[in-house]
Amino acid sequence: MTNPTPPIRIPLTQLAPGRRATVDCSALDALPEGDRCLLTAMGLGERCELRMCRGGHACIVQVDTTRLGLSQEVAARIMVTPIDEAS
Amino acid sequence: MNNAVPATIVLVGNPNTGKTTLFNALCGARARTSNFPGSTVEHHAGLCTLAGGAVEVIDLPGVYSLELDLPESLVCADCIAGRLGPAPDAVVLVLDATNLQRNLQFASSVLRRGVPCVAALTMTDAARSAGLVLDPASIGTDLGIPVIEASGRTGIGLAQLAHSARDIATRLAPPNPAIPYPQASPGTSTCADWASGIFERAGGRPTRAGMDPLTERLDRAFTHPVLGLAAFLTTMAVLFMSIFWLAGYPMDAIDALIGALAESVRSLMPGGLLRDFLADGLIGGIGATLVFLPQIALLFFLLALLEDTGYLARAALSLDRTMRRFGLPGQAFLPLLSSHACALPGIMSTRLIPGRRDRLATILCAPFMSCTARIPVYVLLCGLLFADAPWLAGIAFAGCYALGIAAGLGTAWLLRTTILAGEGRAMVMELPPYRRPSLRTALLVSRDRSALFLRNAATVILSISVVMWWLSAFPRSEPVPQSQALRQVAEAAVAAGDELRAAELVAAAESLDAQTQARSSFAARVGDAVQPVFEPLGLDRQLTMAVLTSFLAREVFVNTVAIQVQSGDDVSDPGTMESMRAATRDDGSPLFSRGTCAALLIFYVLAMQCLPTLVLTAREAGGWRWALLQLGWMSSIAWIAGAIAFRLVAA
Repeated sequence: MTNPTPPIRIPLTQLAPGRRATVDCSALDALPEGDRCLLTAMGLGERCELRMCRGGHACIVQVDTTRLGLSQEVAARIMVTPIDEAS
Repeated sequence: MNNAVPATIVLVGNPNTGKTTLFNALCGARARTSNFPGSTVEHHAGLCTLAGGAVEVIDLPGVYSLELDLPESLVCADCIAGRLGPAPDAVVLVLDATNLQRNLQFASSVLRRGVPCVAALTMTDAARSAGLVLDPASIGTDLGIPVIEASGRTGIGLAQLAHSARDIATRLAPPNPAIPYPQASPGTSTCADWASGIFERAGGRPTRAGMDPLTERLDRAFTHPVLGLAAFLTTMAVLFMSIFWLAGYPMDAIDALIGALAESVRSLMPGGLLRDFLADGLIGGIGATLVFLPQIALLFFLLALLEDTGYLARAALSLDRTMRRFGLPGQAFLPLLSSHACALPGIMSTRLIPGRRDRLATILCAPFMSCTARIPVYVLLCGLLFADAPWLAGIAFAGCYALGIAAGLGTAWLLRTTILAGEGRAMVMELPPYRRPSLRTALLVSRDRSALFLRNAATVILSISVVMWWLSAFPRSEPVPQSQALRQVAEAAVAAGDELRAAELVAAAESLDAQTQARSSFAARVGDAVQPVFEPLGLDRQLTMAVLTSFLAREVFVNTVAIQVQSGDDVSDPGTMESMRAATRDDGSPLFSRGTCAALLIFYVLAMQCLPTLVLTAREAGGWRWALLQLGWMSSIAWIAGAIAFRLVAA
């Protein structure tokens, strides 16, 4: 019997377009408090699921029906856990 | 509540929830735009008339939370708490059905304050299209307040919403105290779970974020490094060319109307000081500003349409990386774009930029953007430079905008690498859905901004016009011997029955008297004293005087020159542009040589010729040292660049 593999956390910038991921409570810790509070209020809060729409310098993610535009600097500081699409 | 005073309700909600559309539908043309006392955050207020009494409706700015350290959030929280004046009698929570869970989390932060509330459920048609049918009654039961499906676009539920809000406001009925609203902030798991429960009980099902192929494709194009920039440049080019060409027709009509009015005054009133004041000072002053109203109205109309389509947010995101090269965040795009209309709202809207260094740099470079007050000057000088080639005038006009943007971005880079060096805060913004723009909303925005411009014109510009007329009209000079001789010849011509000849002689006499007056006036003395400073730009005393007075407001330049030219012009004025083209200096040379036009054009693109902007910079930047730095820097490079342009063109 093998131990379950711990979830892999990657910077949002490394999530391929079209892939989904979840945001956990410590995912935004690397951001300044002002940015963190704003993102949380905009819907990028604890346990939310997002879909990467567009990577690169103008990163676009979708949370529910909301599309958020993030600079590469912000996206690189958001840690997400990719969702296995087969599950 | 005093029954004689209408109840006050405020509309609050997330951005892009249809809140302002709802407000416009409730209040329509009776709305007004203003700031809260001591604040630069704008809000709209209007009266909604209902059977049995009206209610005052206030549309607060869209916010994501009342607890964020952002000006809009603080203003909304203060307004609801009654810290900016009397507390509202009721709050209308605007909830977007297509994004209900996030909207409910925001609602919890309002509801737990215990203020009387009613909710408007908007965007239900879009939700139904996506297969989401929500039960407002269920949401109302969970929230402990009435929830009414309403749409500003279709008018559905508006009357019911207004009556319900008035009823709640009259009874000052708080939300159901038995309901345990989450105390946690929006976005936390506690708050999200609470919102999810309400959403599911109302008929919503947790679904994965879907993909709209058209939105995906458009977003990819508009945020592409090359395609996005090309789309932006094309959009801006079309925007400004439209303003330049389309506005020409109403401008001509207004010009003709003002001219006819001044002419009527001259023909109906006996000659003298009062007639001169009314025709030249008052009507001439108003007309020189009013004639450019179509361009301002058109600019704001087109910008409002663009914003409504959802494109502007993509443009800001797309430009973020480019603007970072100049040390500015992507959020600076909208203040700088707004500054193309007027630097005042542009500077005010820099409050949206969270980082202080980013914000200061944006404030200091914003006045370089070519505002609408510069349009009269650009139109005049481009028209004079390229009288026979309108297409070249159009290119020169667009070039002024490009030069202003380049100078502003260069200044920002210089500031962010020297006195404002340091890391800024990064871009985070919501991208609203693409949609067909609302003509009604665009018209209302255009009306509001035009009214603001007119209010300014009616106060500052008119005051300056009157002062300028006084400076030009006093001390009164006596008719010179040559003009007296011409009048005697004219009388003889009348006696001989040659009316045409007599009119020409009288006109020549009046022109001589006007030139004498212009040379001996207070304005001439001031211009004479300061003129050597502007000699390297090819300016004479008249143009120097016009530049000095236009420090209070740039558009006054045209007005000042118009007054001076008209005072020495034929009474059968063929039009302002013709008068300017034919105007001469004291030595008989053209007032506007090509070199002078080029120098003035460059000078007005780069110079800090706006006292209200200077005052606002001092207030928003936190001290006069920033305003004086802005004034010194802009004036210096404007003077140097203007002098170089004069040398190059006059050579």
